[in-house]
Amino acid sequence: MWQYEKKLQYPVKIKNPDPALAKVIISQLGGPDGELAASLRYLSQRYSAPTREVQAILNDIGTEELSHMEMIGTILYQLTRNLSIKEIKESGFDVYFVDHTAAIYPIAASGVPFSADYFQSKGDPLTDLHEDLAAEQKARTTYDNILRLADDPDVRDPIKFLREREIVHYQRFGEALRKTQDLLDSKNFYAFNPSFDK
Amino acid sequence: MAILNDKEKLMLKIQSCSFAMKEAELFLDTHPRCAEAIEYYQKHKQMNEQYTKEYAEKYGVITMDQQSSEKKWNWTETPFPWERSVD
Repeated sequence: MWQYEKKLQYPVKIKNPDPALAKVIISQLGGPDGELAASLRYLSQRYSAPTREVQAILNDIGTEELSHMEMIGTILYQLTRNLSIKEIKESGFDVYFVDHTAAIYPIAASGVPFSADYFQSKGDPLTDLHEDLAAEQKARTTYDNILRLADDPDVRDPIKFLREREIVHYQRFGEALRKTQDLLDSKNFYAFNPSFDK
Repeated sequence: MAILNDKEKLMLKIQSCSFAMKEAELFLDTHPRCAEAIEYYQKHKQMNEQYTKEYAEKYGVITMDQQSSEKKWNWTETPFPWERSVD
């Protein structure tokens, strides 16, 4: 279970709305490598993880991803406040506005709604941890691309924080993978599913 | 970063301490016997408790269980964190 804390993991305080920028940052909410996919991926995979250490890393990174989803939601909310119809039309935000007004809804930048197709929970810890390592790198690449598109320091600051967390999570998942491999039977050098094929 | 008022400065201290704890938690998940990391975690946990208590007294509760008044429910009095001006 969880307990909510009325605070963000890292401050978000954006002075100037920028709906065009919100249109691309929304991919880190509901896109293929976004924070919602990340949290659901790890929180789904944790049940069948092979050891308490790997369960813990999936549980605790999955939990942190929920706070990242909240940070992205906050960035989007603050980038789309007090917009005029002229600003909505000129920024291209109208195609989102027509369905969601200025609410926060998980879609990719392309407009495709969030889907569980974006992640796997395979029940094989080696398979799952390899996906997790790739997922952290993909999210880091997306944040790099957002930093190429965003000039506002109010936006760049929390995005840089989130980018750095992908790198730390990649490191922790690498350690979890190593620990899982250390437990493999010497006969299992092809790395079959150590959770199911005993 | 923007100029912060006293409330935001205290919140930033809480965010710094709880972030240090989060970072230590993940590290300890894969290094559970690292005494240095446990000490680091404990140090920031104590600071976090102190700042969080001070914040609740001055500006409002961060978790529901900090509720202190017997007459009214404090949780709904303070803004959620996505509101830009945290006042």
